[in-house]
Amino acid sequence: MARALCANCKAERAVIKRPKNHAKLCKVCFIQVFEDEVHHTITSSKLFYPGEKVAIGASGGKDSTVLASVLKTLNERHGYGLDLVLLSIDEGIKGYRDDSLDTVKRNAVQYNMPLKIVGYDELYGWTMDQVVETIGKKGNCTYCGVFRRQALDRGAKMLGIKHVVTGHNADDVAETVLMNLLRGDLARLSRSTSIVTGDSRSEVKRSKPLKYSYEKEIVLYAHHKKLDYFSTECIYSPEAFRGSARALVKQLERVRPTAILDIVRSGEDVARLVPGEEPSSCACSGQKGAAGLVDDDVGGCGSQNGRTPGGEMAAMDKQLRDNEASEGLEIDVVKTMVEGNAARGEKRDLPIRAGNTSKGAPRQVLGNCKRCGYMSSQEICQACMLLEGLNKNRAKIQI
Amino acid sequence: MTESKPGQVALTRPCVKCRAQEATLDSRSQPVCKDCFIKFISTKFIKQIDILGKKTRPAPGPSSTSSSSGPPTLTRRYLLGLSFGVSSTVLLHLLSENLESQLAKGRTAPFDLTVVHVDTSSFPSREGTDPEASVAAVEAILDRYRARYPRFTFQRVPLSSSTLSNNNNNNNNSTPNPSDDIFSLLSSSTTTTPPTAASQSDLRQHLTRRTLLAETAHHNCQALLLGHSTTALAELTLAEAAKGRGFALPWLVGDGPAPPPDSSSEPRESGLLIHHPLREALRKELVTYAGLVTDPSPLTDLLLEQTNDNPGSAEGTTRVVSHRDLSIEDVMTRYFAEVEESYPSVVANVARTAGKLVRRGGDGGDEEAATACELCGMPRDEDGDVRWKGELGIQDNGEEEGDRESVAARLRGRLCYGCERSVGG
Repeated sequence: MARALCANCKAERAVIKRPKNHAKLCKVCFIQVFEDEVHHTITSSKLFYPGEKVAIGASGGKDSTVLASVLKTLNERHGYGLDLVLLSIDEGIKGYRDDSLDTVKRNAVQYNMPLKIVGYDELYGWTMDQVVETIGKKGNCTYCGVFRRQALDRGAKMLGIKHVVTGHNADDVAETVLMNLLRGDLARLSRSTSIVTGDSRSEVKRSKPLKYSYEKEIVLYAHHKKLDYFSTECIYSPEAFRGSARALVKQLERVRPTAILDIVRSGEDVARLVPGEEPSSCACSGQKGAAGLVDDDVGGCGSQNGRTPGGEMAAMDKQLRDNEASEGLEIDVVKTMVEGNAARGEKRDLPIRAGNTSKGAPRQVLGNCKRCGYMSSQEICQACMLLEGLNKNRAKIQI
Repeated sequence: MTESKPGQVALTRPCVKCRAQEATLDSRSQPVCKDCFIKFISTKFIKQIDILGKKTRPAPGPSSTSSSSGPPTLTRRYLLGLSFGVSSTVLLHLLSENLESQLAKGRTAPFDLTVVHVDTSSFPSREGTDPEASVAAVEAILDRYRARYPRFTFQRVPLSSSTLSNNNNNNNNSTPNPSDDIFSLLSSSTTTTPPTAASQSDLRQHLTRRTLLAETAHHNCQALLLGHSTTALAELTLAEAAKGRGFALPWLVGDGPAPPPDSSSEPRESGLLIHHPLREALRKELVTYAGLVTDPSPLTDLLLEQTNDNPGSAEGTTRVVSHRDLSIEDVMTRYFAEVEESYPSVVANVARTAGKLVRRGGDGGDEEAATACELCGMPRDEDGDVRWKGELGIQDNGEEEGDRESVAARLRGRLCYGCERSVGG
């Protein structure tokens, strides 16, 4: 059987069946179409303005390498007028970052972009290896994720840059959507799907231009463009919700390849159904729908995105069970009265039908951390809280 | 440690609820006895059926939620969708018990119940199957249900385009009924590339739902009862999200009004309620319950011979199947069977969270009512569709062959995102 011709140019032999829509394409057309779609995402979401200085969060992994390559190509092809900089974080994990940072350094030369490397040690006084030494292998992804998120922003601030782009792809977003549905976190769900996070109050805006790109296509793109990237997974793997959601996404993709994008679509739609959210469909303007805290962004490290400590699912299960157990012991006087008056008899679903939206998803109020000034919904941001704990332990160990 | 010694005064493991009997079962990680477990399930059911009872009370005045077009209903009228699976069978049993106990107390019947089984055996039609034989097989099963629950009416309704179009008589626009297209697409043996198992399963499920709703209206019932357990609702939530139906989730998972009917539906379809009275029981609990009921005969007797009917059923979870033959629902069933085992409260939380989502696109919304998908009947998210088109690269949608291409083209713009996906392959 002869190989099919490329559906796009009808001249070359098709070598790629796109996971996204089953289209059979030749190599040249695939690269073109991939870039065109990212371009569409960028223009329709108005991600950049001419002359904008943009830092690319670069891990040396496939996603950020492809992002850097595509942005460079599009910047030149379509005259975005962007000033692109590579920004890397050194978490201080031996054997993980040494090689990948070498990759980033080579990328900087290949793409002719300036590179800034920020270390956890200079930002927080702790490398990840030291953190793991102190708290063990379980739960350290929380530290890594929280530190990393701020590290990119702080690094960008050092460079005087107000916009960081990250390589999060459609698989990552789909995973986050399922994860937040699984743990019943509508507030995070409504934020994590928007392409831009961080509003006018935050100093650094974040966006993910590869939000609609399949991980598989990113790998194909890197392969066919012969990009120089470093492939490894974080040695401190996460478990629980994200791991569970990740496995589920992969299974769904196998059964129906379009499922990943379908989940992203559902995530965007559900975000508009969260009580208290704007009903407007446009999450792409970057202004509204972007009330998101940066620390609610799609998860942490380059490939594994781990931020959830092991046993999280079990812990949540237990907490929920405790709640259920105590539910019978208390009487919600207000609720009982409301029910009595309205005679609607609805117990669980009150928020929807009665329009009592305040109960649906707790809204967080954005402020700034009293210690470091980073935006936070708490008085003291997550990173500073974690650091406090770490530093306490360190003092003890040293004594 | 579960060894029980009946007859002894000191119980080795007393039931935490009654403290009078030996615990033989685990209920939400607490040891309970058989009687308390049965009571636990029926309490969950009664709570929900009472909620529905309040909503459907045929009260005079404008606040009544019942349809005004039908004859005045003196008693509540419900329709139960019976799949022959564990959950819907348990629901049927509980409804019967509820009715009998009311009658035994000398009260009037709390509701009239019509039970409908939607027969999907001809969807899609397979070569070499004898349609008459499969009808007879379904009727044989229904006869066993009829014998056990003589107070209820049981009906077999085939899933076919005529069922849907019969109930769409008032259709006054001249465009052909999309379900005709879908049926011809799925029944045609000339289709070069049949839709995938995932798409077939999706379409079957949504057409079944629509058929049940149409029957509910047809029988002048106020509410459609579905047997979904907590686990099933969690599966439904994630499965529909994975099929791009996030927008319709609140309509699918929550209890309350059915999606507003579009112009092609009968007017009396409006104001219907959909309720899931077993929404607070886990699937494994319903399986246990079915095994415990022995009066007048074991409930499990009804459930025999149906294990091969539904590859997504709990019984099918251990079979190894090629992923090509799996549906999204199958993946979710397998996934939640595991989660339910270790983290039952997480499962419950998924269903509860989905219930908090706001229903948009229906009447009563702040924006203009959205048009309904002509296939699944759910509100369409037109804003989302406009915004989404470009991201997909839908223009270069690969090659679609033969029948499917023409059907997909004909229906474009009339279906919701999820149905468009399933029709497309």
